[in-house]
Amino acid sequence: MMEKLNIQNIGLTVGILVILVGLWGLLTQKNLIKIVIGFALFDTGTHILMVSIGYIKYRTAPILDEAVDIRNAAKLVVDPIPQALVLTAIVIGLGITALMLSYVLKMYQNKKSLEINNYKDLKW
Amino acid sequence: MKIVYVLLGLFIIINYGLLQAGVLRRITARVGKRIGVPFYQPYIDLIKNYAIRSQFSHGVMFYLGPVFRLSGGVGIFLFMPLIFGNEIFSNYSMAGDLILIMYFMFIGMLGMALGAGEGGHPYSIIGITRGLSQFTTVEVPFTLAVISIAIQYQTLSITEIVAAQQGGIMHWTLMTNPLATGAAMLSFLGMMMYAPFNVVNAPQENPLGPPTEFHGTFLGMLQTNRVILGVMEAILFMNLFFGGATNWGILFIKAFLIYFYPVFVGAVFPRYRIDQSIRWFLYLPTALGILAIIFI
Amino acid sequence: MVGPIYIIAISLGTAFSLGFFKKANRNISFGLMFFAMAFVTFISGQWLYAFLSHQQETIQIFTAGFKPPFSISLQMGFHEAVFLTMINVLGLLSAIYLFDHLKEKGANMMMVFMLLFMGLNVVVMTRDIFNLFVFLEISSITLVGLIILEKKQDAISSGFKYLIASGIISQILLIGIIAAYYYGGSLFINDMVDSNLLFVKGGSVAVFLILIAVVLELKPFPANGWALDVYQSATPGIGAIVSGAVATTSLFILYKLLPIGGDAWLLPIGITGVISFLGSNFLGINQKNANRILGYSSIGQVGLLMIIMSLSKDLGDKFEFVFFSILISHYLAKAGLFWISGIINKDEIGQWNIIKNKPGLIVLTGVFMLTLLGLPPFPSFYGKWELIMNLAHSGNFTWIAIILLGSFFEAIYLLRWFGKTLMNNENSEELIVKFHKIFPAVISSFLILMFSFLTARWSGLMSVKYFIPFAIALLLFALDFLPVFIKNIMAIATVSWYSYVLIYQTYIPENDILRIIFGFIFLIGAILLLFPGFTFKGKRRGFYPLVILMFSGLAGLIEARTTFQFFFAWEMMTLASYLLIIRGKNAKKTSFSYILFSMAGAFMMFIGFGLAYFETGSISLNALADVLIYANWVYILVAVGFLVKIASLGVHIWLPDSYTEADDDVTPMISSILVKSGVFGLIILMLSMSLKNAASSNIPYILGWIGALSALIGNMLAIYQEDVKKLVAYSSIGIMGYILFGLSMMSHLGWLTAISYSIVHFLYKALLFLAVAGIIYRTKTRNIYEMGGLIKRMPLSFISVLIGIITLAGMPPLVGFAGKWMFYNAVILKGWYFQGAIVFFSGIVAFLYCFKLIHNIFLGPIKDNHRKLKETSVWWLIPQFVLIIGIMIISVYPKIILEPIGLYLSMYFPGEGLVWAGTTASTSLGYWDATQIMMVFAGMFGVIFIILFLMSRKVQVVEQFNIVFQAERPERPETTHYAHNMYAPYNKALGFLAAPFITNSWEFIYESFHAIGDQIRKFYTGNGQTYALHIVMYVVAFYLFINGGF
Repeated sequence: MMEKLNIQNIGLTVGILVILVGLWGLLTQKNLIKIVIGFALFDTGTHILMVSIGYIKYRTAPILDEAVDIRNAAKLVVDPIPQALVLTAIVIGLGITALMLSYVLKMYQNKKSLEINNYKDLKW
Repeated sequence: MKIVYVLLGLFIIINYGLLQAGVLRRITARVGKRIGVPFYQPYIDLIKNYAIRSQFSHGVMFYLGPVFRLSGGVGIFLFMPLIFGNEIFSNYSMAGDLILIMYFMFIGMLGMALGAGEGGHPYSIIGITRGLSQFTTVEVPFTLAVISIAIQYQTLSITEIVAAQQGGIMHWTLMTNPLATGAAMLSFLGMMMYAPFNVVNAPQENPLGPPTEFHGTFLGMLQTNRVILGVMEAILFMNLFFGGATNWGILFIKAFLIYFYPVFVGAVFPRYRIDQSIRWFLYLPTALGILAIIFI
Repeated sequence: MVGPIYIIAISLGTAFSLGFFKKANRNISFGLMFFAMAFVTFISGQWLYAFLSHQQETIQIFTAGFKPPFSISLQMGFHEAVFLTMINVLGLLSAIYLFDHLKEKGANMMMVFMLLFMGLNVVVMTRDIFNLFVFLEISSITLVGLIILEKKQDAISSGFKYLIASGIISQILLIGIIAAYYYGGSLFINDMVDSNLLFVKGGSVAVFLILIAVVLELKPFPANGWALDVYQSATPGIGAIVSGAVATTSLFILYKLLPIGGDAWLLPIGITGVISFLGSNFLGINQKNANRILGYSSIGQVGLLMIIMSLSKDLGDKFEFVFFSILISHYLAKAGLFWISGIINKDEIGQWNIIKNKPGLIVLTGVFMLTLLGLPPFPSFYGKWELIMNLAHSGNFTWIAIILLGSFFEAIYLLRWFGKTLMNNENSEELIVKFHKIFPAVISSFLILMFSFLTARWSGLMSVKYFIPFAIALLLFALDFLPVFIKNIMAIATVSWYSYVLIYQTYIPENDILRIIFGFIFLIGAILLLFPGFTFKGKRRGFYPLVILMFSGLAGLIEARTTFQFFFAWEMMTLASYLLIIRGKNAKKTSFSYILFSMAGAFMMFIGFGLAYFETGSISLNALADVLIYANWVYILVAVGFLVKIASLGVHIWLPDSYTEADDDVTPMISSILVKSGVFGLIILMLSMSLKNAASSNIPYILGWIGALSALIGNMLAIYQEDVKKLVAYSSIGIMGYILFGLSMMSHLGWLTAISYSIVHFLYKALLFLAVAGIIYRTKTRNIYEMGGLIKRMPLSFISVLIGIITLAGMPPLVGFAGKWMFYNAVILKGWYFQGAIVFFSGIVAFLYCFKLIHNIFLGPIKDNHRKLKETSVWWLIPQFVLIIGIMIISVYPKIILEPIGLYLSMYFPGEGLVWAGTTASTSLGYWDATQIMMVFAGMFGVIFIILFLMSRKVQVVEQFNIVFQAERPERPETTHYAHNMYAPYNKALGFLAAPFITNSWEFIYESFHAIGDQIRKFYTGNGQTYALHIVMYVVAFYLFINGGF
């Protein structure tokens, strides 16, 4: 039992939970801002998932400094690639969230409503 | 030389037809307890009409209408073999068979319809549309009967059909193929346009309609045609169903009896409306015709 | 050569440098952006050229000096080059199109615009999956940024929906990527393909997530409401980009990533494609919003391409050809339509008739729509042909049926839309077309034409001579500014030349009777029927190219030796005739039903040809004879196509209105010439399939009944028509039924009747329609009861109609009787008595309308407003009298056509034919001597006429107002013209036969389609959350499907 309860699995579980919470918010909340928050949570959950996947027990961050010797770095650090990816993903997620919020702003300016049900003019 | 004999035949047929018409008029009058006209009345009518000098025409087609009409009648005569085994009176039957005769009837009808049409009188057209409408269904049982006997005799040549019926009454189509004969004889009622199928003539029973639009010489030609056509249709049926004729005497007798039959029916029955008669021909006579083909 | 890496460098560099120009002149910014995009396009084009022209090797570009998987690598291969060129060309054209939008928004927006295309470029080239994700995100962010171009509320809310949906999709992709990395250890796509992820524990989930995300990027039906809303609301320029560039890129992603999933994923992708293709096209039927329709169509086409991708194994080496010809035509046409939609700027397709007075726009719209439909000569036609044929070759008939069904749905809404575009326009609103808006569409149509030529050559199915008609049509189109008179002469000259080459130089030396006859009908007939064109004033824009295409299509039919050539000519002729019919003033609705029936028939034929190919492995027309196992199927399927053309009972409802509403000189062309294409097709089909195949011996029997009933019902309906053209049109149904009956007898005499009657029908039907058209030309009415008494005004036309109806009715002595006589003999010899009796009955029914035709027009009292009418124009009369001479010659001497046909037929039907002795023809049943009959008749008629003439020399001609005209009401002649509802008693007795139950049932089917579609599309609620839910549900359903949960 304790064997399973390592940091990687905790990370994975938390990540999936956050994703589900985010998805739940995205699909059920009627307020546009809350939907965006839902999306952001979804995003964050994915990032946690990514970092957890790259984690290797007893290893350190993949930064080459005095703690990590460049010659045996490969044995000392966790997989650097997910970390690099997650940085990019965070930036992209931020960009999308920002764009969403600016859309919400535009929508609110036009219709003075944050209710998603009020934006169903196009259908069928 | 052929032409001389053909003209001779035509002359005989016209005279016979006029006499027959007179006699039959007298008979129908007697049926209705009237005295009736003398038997030579048709001659008088014809001569009078041809003699009238005041004539009006409504136009070219009006003028040509009777020509077409009479051509139709004479045409049927020309392509019909009259006396079996007699080369002289087989006319131009070598130019075409039964189908030709059937379709030649239409020429006269068309001509009449066109001529009367140009006359411009609405009643003429009413009569013509009725006539055409009825005619379409009259032809159905007749066509079936023709197909039936064509299957029976494996020929469409009238001469050969007559030839196949020689040798006594039991060889007549009447006996060998009674269903076809029945269908054809019912449609014959419609062709001759006596009651109950004579509503077609109704518009001209008023002092209006095609034959009175046409007058004088025109009417004379129409009358001539009616005489020829009536006899020729009777002869057609005689050839197809009643063994044909080997000499003029038999021809006269058979033609008279065949012709007498629609007159007789007409004297007894009241008249159908046009939509009724259209349907009537598609029921019993057509059914007979179909049976005639099935049981051939 | 400029390296592909410069695509990124230049785009990025320019995008950033645009920032410096923010305050400066926007024209300069635009110029800079445009120049950069042009250069990028040049780079991709240059690579494409390199791949096409010589054996350029696919190259890999490694960034940062490492080899993958340690660095991002780009790949430039042939496929990449094609896609990049497509995307960049579209970018360039879109930039032109959006010129004023971009200028208004300034440099920032131009930056976004450039980055969108840079993103798409990288997505295509990259071989690193994470990099792909990043640039995909960049593209969607920039795309959503562009959507704000339009300040409409709708656009903004749809952009938000798009963001949510694409956000979810990208998260799924991201999770999939990271899982793939976890299980496979590489982000390099080539490694991922090699590592067989599916067999690694957990790897299948990773593959699933990646591929489902890619599928969702393709906006599959039904999880695509978000995309549809964007299509509908965004400015059409954006729609063009989404449909042309973004969807194309997404397809390429699928193409690139599909190998990860391996063969196991092909079928799911195919099924996704099917659902998308059928679903969107079905729902498209109900749409009225132009941009939304385009969205539906776009999604449908992507579905089709997914199907093709999933079938790549079956298509073998034809895959590339099929895929690219359909993809590129779709891409060009769809973008073009979006651009046009932007010019028109109307939401409802019903309002598109604003372009009625802009022939250029109509032509563009037509080119784009027909390209989407895959009609020849457009490139997708060849793609579809190869697709269907190769599928048939491997026996995939379910796929074929699905593809053709979906195409048919698509045809329904696109053609209805096209019809609406040509609707009469009462609205006098003037459409302003800016040059920069129309320019991209023009380029796009030009590219389509160029690509048509290339695909045709590439397909290897077409030799150069097939392009001659197109070249002539294009030439005529270019000379469209000339007056009608000159163009008509050119058209006649062209057809004459064509018939000289075909008939005189080819068929006559080969003594190919069948082709001589139909060549004569198709081409000599065309020459005659072009004469009335001289009476038209003005320019008749677009008429002559279509006429040339139609007749060359017909000529192509006789020329065809393979099923491809036949189908090509068939579709071309159908298309041209459709466009000719639709030119009529009120022909929009009816031409729609014409083309729908024709297309359905053509698709059936297509399947039939496919089936034949499946069995025999040959596309030669003669190979049809070798079909044995599927003979019945092939026979029926192919025959249906022909039956539609000859308007047999059941599929006849398009004919009457189409004939009636077509232009007056087009009607004779289609009624007397075009329908014969169906007859010719049937002849070819029966010659190869009925004679040698015992298996399909029952089908002619069924066809015989269809023919007999068509004859009856067609004639029955004709007698009640009050519209003169309609009357003649219905009679065509009857006569075609008669010919069909003759053919299906499969006997020497039956065929002799049918073939010779085809000639006769051509003669008298053209004669009647020409005469009628000439009369309409003067009276300006088609209502037959509004005419009357015209014999005095138009005696020559009267003669034409008289000869025409005597021939039609089959009265001796004219040649129509030959048909009746041979028919009786054939029927009795064949033993089809009852069908035969029905046909004879219908022949007699024909008298009714014949008389109606001649009486109501020419006889009876003349109407007040017609008193000063003149005889019709000489251009109408010339062909009529040529036809009359033709009828007369073969009436007197029918042997000249009957004997050669008989000789020809005895090769195929050794059975009993006509025996000729002098001028007498005889069978074992009867005999007939046309020459003698004619002489006897003429003599008799002459004699009787002379007698009458001699006896009535003093005849007095009376006029209409003379007292002798009884029952006359001169002030209201119509009251004494017994013309309206002429056969009322007949209707009372037999009217039930004319009840429109077939029309009603077809309409019921059509309405049901609409009603069902209307209900289904309700699940697009418009709520962004619902759309997100659709996506999630789609993923779940897909997962269950893949893992056998269902």
